Amino acid sequence: MRRQTHFLRSSVLGALSNVYTTSSGTRLRRAAREEIQYPPNFYLFFLFLFYPEYHTQLRSRSIDERSFRCSFTMKFTAAVAACLSLLSTAYADSRVDTSSSKVVLPSTFKPPQNFRNANLVHIISLEKNYVKESINVLIENISEEPQDEYFLPFTSEQMEKVGGFEVKDRKNSEVVGFDIDAVEYDSLRKVEPSALFCYRPGEASTNVRHGSDTQFYRIKLPAPLASGSQQILGISFYYLNVLKALPASIDQTDKQYLVHTFSAYCPSAYSTLKQKTEVKLPSSEAPEYTKIAGNEETKEFPVKQGSKLTYGPFPEVSAGASSLVKVRYEFNKPVTHVSQLERDIEVSHWGGNVAFEERYTLFHHGANLSSQFSRVKWAQSQYISPQTFALKEMKFVLGAGSKDAYFTDVIGNVSTSRFRTSKREAVLELKPRYPIFGGWKYPFTVGWNADSNNYLKKSGDKFLLNIPLIEGPKQAEGVEYEHVDVRVILPEGAENIEFHTSVPGSSITEHSVDIVRTYLDTVGRTVLTIKARNLVDELRDRELIVSYEYSTVAALRKPFVIFSSTMAVFVGTWLLSKLDKYRNGTRNPEAFDVKQGPDK
Amino acid sequence: MYLCDVLQHPIVASSHSPLTMAVDQGASSKLPGLLVSLGKNESTKTLLKVIILAIIAAAAVASRLFSVILDPWFNFRATKYLVANGFYQFWDWFDDRTWHPLGRVTGGTLYPGLMVTSGVIYHLLRFLTVPVDIRNICVLLAPAFSGLTAYAAYLLTNEMTTSSSAGLLAAAFMGITPGYISRSVAGSYDNEAIAIFLLVFTFFLWIKALKLGSMLWGALCALFYGYMVASWGGYAFITCLVPLHVFVLICMGRFSMRLYVAYTTWYALGTLASMQIPFVGFLPVRTSEHMPALGIFGFIQLVAFLEYVRSAVSSRQFQTFMYVGLGGIFSVGLLGLVGLTAGGYIAPWSGRFYSLWDTGYAKIHIPIIASVSEHQPTAWPAFFFDLNMLIWLFPAGVYMCFQKLEDEHVFIIVYALFGSYFAGVMVRLMLTLTPVVCVAAAIAASQLLDTYLQYKSPEPIESKDEESSDVTAKKASKQSSLRSASQPVVGIYNVLSKAFIAGTMTLFLLIFVQHCTWVTSNAYSSPSVVLASRMPDGSQHIIDDYREAYQWLRQNTKEDAKIMSWWDYGYQIGGMADRPTLVDNNTWNNTHIATVGKAMSSREEVAYPIMRQHEVDYVLVVFGGLLGYSGDDINKFLWMVRIAEGIWPDEVKERDFFTPRGEYKVDADASETMKNSLMYKMSYHNYASLFPPGQAQDRVRGVRLPDQSPILNSLEEAYTSENWIIRIYKVKDLDNVGRDHAAAASFERGHKKKKAIKKRGPRVLRAE
Repeated sequence: MRRQTHFLRSSVLGALSNVYTTSSGTRLRRAAREEIQYPPNFYLFFLFLFYPEYHTQLRSRSIDERSFRCSFTMKFTAAVAACLSLLSTAYADSRVDTSSSKVVLPSTFKPPQNFRNANLVHIISLEKNYVKESINVLIENISEEPQDEYFLPFTSEQMEKVGGFEVKDRKNSEVVGFDIDAVEYDSLRKVEPSALFCYRPGEASTNVRHGSDTQFYRIKLPAPLASGSQQILGISFYYLNVLKALPASIDQTDKQYLVHTFSAYCPSAYSTLKQKTEVKLPSSEAPEYTKIAGNEETKEFPVKQGSKLTYGPFPEVSAGASSLVKVRYEFNKPVTHVSQLERDIEVSHWGGNVAFEERYTLFHHGANLSSQFSRVKWAQSQYISPQTFALKEMKFVLGAGSKDAYFTDVIGNVSTSRFRTSKREAVLELKPRYPIFGGWKYPFTVGWNADSNNYLKKSGDKFLLNIPLIEGPKQAEGVEYEHVDVRVILPEGAENIEFHTSVPGSSITEHSVDIVRTYLDTVGRTVLTIKARNLVDELRDRELIVSYEYSTVAALRKPFVIFSSTMAVFVGTWLLSKLDKYRNGTRNPEAFDVKQGPDK
Repeated sequence: MYLCDVLQHPIVASSHSPLTMAVDQGASSKLPGLLVSLGKNESTKTLLKVIILAIIAAAAVASRLFSVILDPWFNFRATKYLVANGFYQFWDWFDDRTWHPLGRVTGGTLYPGLMVTSGVIYHLLRFLTVPVDIRNICVLLAPAFSGLTAYAAYLLTNEMTTSSSAGLLAAAFMGITPGYISRSVAGSYDNEAIAIFLLVFTFFLWIKALKLGSMLWGALCALFYGYMVASWGGYAFITCLVPLHVFVLICMGRFSMRLYVAYTTWYALGTLASMQIPFVGFLPVRTSEHMPALGIFGFIQLVAFLEYVRSAVSSRQFQTFMYVGLGGIFSVGLLGLVGLTAGGYIAPWSGRFYSLWDTGYAKIHIPIIASVSEHQPTAWPAFFFDLNMLIWLFPAGVYMCFQKLEDEHVFIIVYALFGSYFAGVMVRLMLTLTPVVCVAAAIAASQLLDTYLQYKSPEPIESKDEESSDVTAKKASKQSSLRSASQPVVGIYNVLSKAFIAGTMTLFLLIFVQHCTWVTSNAYSSPSVVLASRMPDGSQHIIDDYREAYQWLRQNTKEDAKIMSWWDYGYQIGGMADRPTLVDNNTWNNTHIATVGKAMSSREEVAYPIMRQHEVDYVLVVFGGLLGYSGDDINKFLWMVRIAEGIWPDEVKERDFFTPRGEYKVDADASETMKNSLMYKMSYHNYASLFPPGQAQDRVRGVRLPDQSPILNSLEEAYTSENWIIRIYKVKDLDNVGRDHAAAASFERGHKKKKAIKKRGPRVLRAE
């Protein structure tokens, strides 16, 4: 019976969350709920009949679940999935995580060979300190029926590092509405990590075995592609934290070189007729790269043109084929990695102010120092050649009209910052307390205030808050963010929160609406928390739009509470003073003197 | 200049208030304007006083906000621990991150009052859903309490005189006098931050208890005394001053039941309260510092008993009884005290206490006390610097007390003498003198102002007497009985002289405000951690090397890396860098400090085993040679040598660090011991390479250094801050192939192992 109440609560909460959200995640969740239409008892009956270990499995699953709400739904959907997979293993069921747009598939899954890549251009950009990949592919439906699901394979290791996954139609930019889901195998059944790109559907089907490491991004086309017709997809995403320094530790005045390993054939779940891979380097300085045999035109790949390496064009390649190549290139700039960014945005209607505060946990993931830091060498190298792989400075470009900027760390104010404002923009230039070399860490906090007129609009009875999801430093060499927590603290009494963001939906892992009590709050402020992962600084102008309702009564609550409580204090004091006078009036004033005792 | 304006307000306002009151006392009010009509009735007066006191408190807080840097980081760390773990955890806190490898029983070796106060405020504000950071409470606690101190000074002064302007003046003086600001600027989170308020307030309660003979006030006094004991080691000042006051009163023949009730209540409850603090424990009955209070407690019982006997028996019998009984008991008590001290039950005077009587004592016997700059005897300009015009108003105020000489005035006199002596012995104790100076100076200044700001010329004495008689009839009669001659009709009739004196006085007050502002901004608001300088274009440049290095340590060394440094930086490293330290500012273990001193002043071969034994990972030194920062370790070095010499006189000798001519030099002429000491090597390591050949210069000592920097073998430079103020060295691990560090380092530099090869015999062909 307890389980049933769980279900009820989860459905109620789920219904609430429908109101709160408009992101792509919601649609999925709705879809998932539509699948589950049977009354819960029906499932429970089957469950206990066929699956007595159900309890233990549930318990072990729920350990992983972070969100309270999601765990309820998860438990139930897990039960459903387990039940269904017992009833019919052939049926590829899908479970949807409520808080993240992940679809979990059984490991027996393989993408149906409905498509063929007619032509593919794979561009790997290594110009920044993360990897930007874009795959422009002409897909062709080779099945009998119209198809709308295209899969792109990744290893589970890569899956952790992929961010900002986006798909566009290259031909017609008006075609929008690609739905992207990360498709994962049931992690419980994953046994061992296996080699890179082990998934080869072209070979025997036994290759797709339990514990297979391949996972997918599922791209749902806005409209099913008719049999035999073609469409050009522009897929772009980022790899974070994959560049490694080689040598891993160098002297302070040496140049830093990075290594990137990738496949010369673009990983694909379908066979590809024609493809090439282009690698864009930050400079033409690339001392080492893997050479592979060429075709009749060129003797060997890659072809190097300035700072560009080209592998291909290659003839037809079967699905899942790979050919690992390495590039080592000069990158004498910091490899800035933010493992955690907490960003608070506090909206005040009374103050007409939007306060921003960002807390960074920043690392340098480049080459370590081979010997200890030498101040003499540093001072000299700063004088002779200022270019270095150490992070010396950061520049935050903030919205126009930003003011009261601060830069602190755990010890206190950092005095080496400059804040310059002009009519067009405000720039906060920070120098960390010390130059940050590879392997070093520097956590810090920045904050500023801004006029709410720049961000807050009123439309009808709703307020619209339009802010960038992340701002962060604007560095030529780029910045990557592993975890980003954005908290939008709305005024006390704000309700009906909805949000929309132009950051790719697959990067948003979680969102929730809570209550936080601060600054003499009575009912508490509404807080929208959005958690995202694997973002890069190129997404820093993507907006976050939050709409909410805020009534005049709610706005007047705090002044009223403060006024009435202050009045209560005054009245109380006045009453007490009356009492005092009354006492003084009735008692004999001489009585007090008697207590003074004998005086000489 | 904004602050100056703020500061002037209370002075102007408070110098107006006697005017209004003076007018009020007069029969007719001719002064035009709002002020006169305002000051007419009692409640408006109260309102005015409240407003003035509020403004004074605001000025006191505002003048402390010049710069904000949290200073004793240990207290902040302890407060954070208290807030995070709760009171009982805090009470039992064993801190293994200080005094490595000994650790410190922190809960039992600190005065918890400050931290508990902050914690209570924190939880109160949290309860009111004000999301304040504990750091902000710690920073602003001292200024907030200085506002309360001003109020306490007002109360205390009001007990001394009937003129309410004196209290307001005292509050204003207390609020802005540099002698107190020096220890209570924002961010100065030390015990004194709340202790001075408690000191003044306890004295106020004592006076109140004494005047009324009330057990309630006595108990309140004991309560605040307990709070004071929980907050500051300076509580001994109260423990000695109150019995002294009682003793003086008894000697003056002023024993009364009021005195008896007040003192016994205070002593019994206060001692019990003080014994609740683990750090104090049984000290109140076991150490000599506390014996005066206990002795007077016994003495007052005797006196009370004698009073009772005198009322019961005839005077002749009483005399014999007194001589025999009193003499007997006194000698028995004294013998008992001497016996218990000799037997070790009562600790004799501690070294710190001796240094209060003999200023040369500490330098010879306990160098660690003498090495602290604030334990030095006060230089006379310091009195003018810290107290400005109050220092010459102070004797006048004490003289006024002699004129009235009630019980409470005796207290001021005793306090003034006592405080002056101690302030002369130790710079730090200027703090305890400041309250009495403010009170006495305010009494004197208000007397002047009250006299000269009378708008009306004084009328014959009869009418005045009539007015004041109903208020102070009893006191007046007592005064007349005490003094042989009644006061003649004295008054100032000439408007010119009135205006002149009042104008001069106002001018002095304004200069005082200006001086306080100047001293506060220039001398007391420059935190030790941050140095400010000016760029050529006039903009401020902040030299932030300490925090730079501490942040580096905090982020880029492993979390339990032990840092060895001189004890001055212990709290800062513990708090800002969050790393374990060997010694810190809580100098309870002289031997451990001497060990660090020995490591710093010895050769590398001697120092390395010491560092290994103490698991030192990094050594931190402060070097001001590049910047001309004089508070660096080379300038403190002789104290390290002296403290080490105190424990190991055979191994470390101060004389060896001087040149044959007896000079303390760091250049090419420095003695060999100096050049080989770890401190010297760490300070100047690699320094010469920063300069062109022959130009290497130490800007603190103003000397040219040899081109060849000292060579370090067992340590390697790990980090040096931007301006070279902080240099951090990593202690090398043992050599992989078992060589000593000197050999390994010389191999690294490419030198062949010449001597060793020569010593070997001729080569022998191996037959195997």
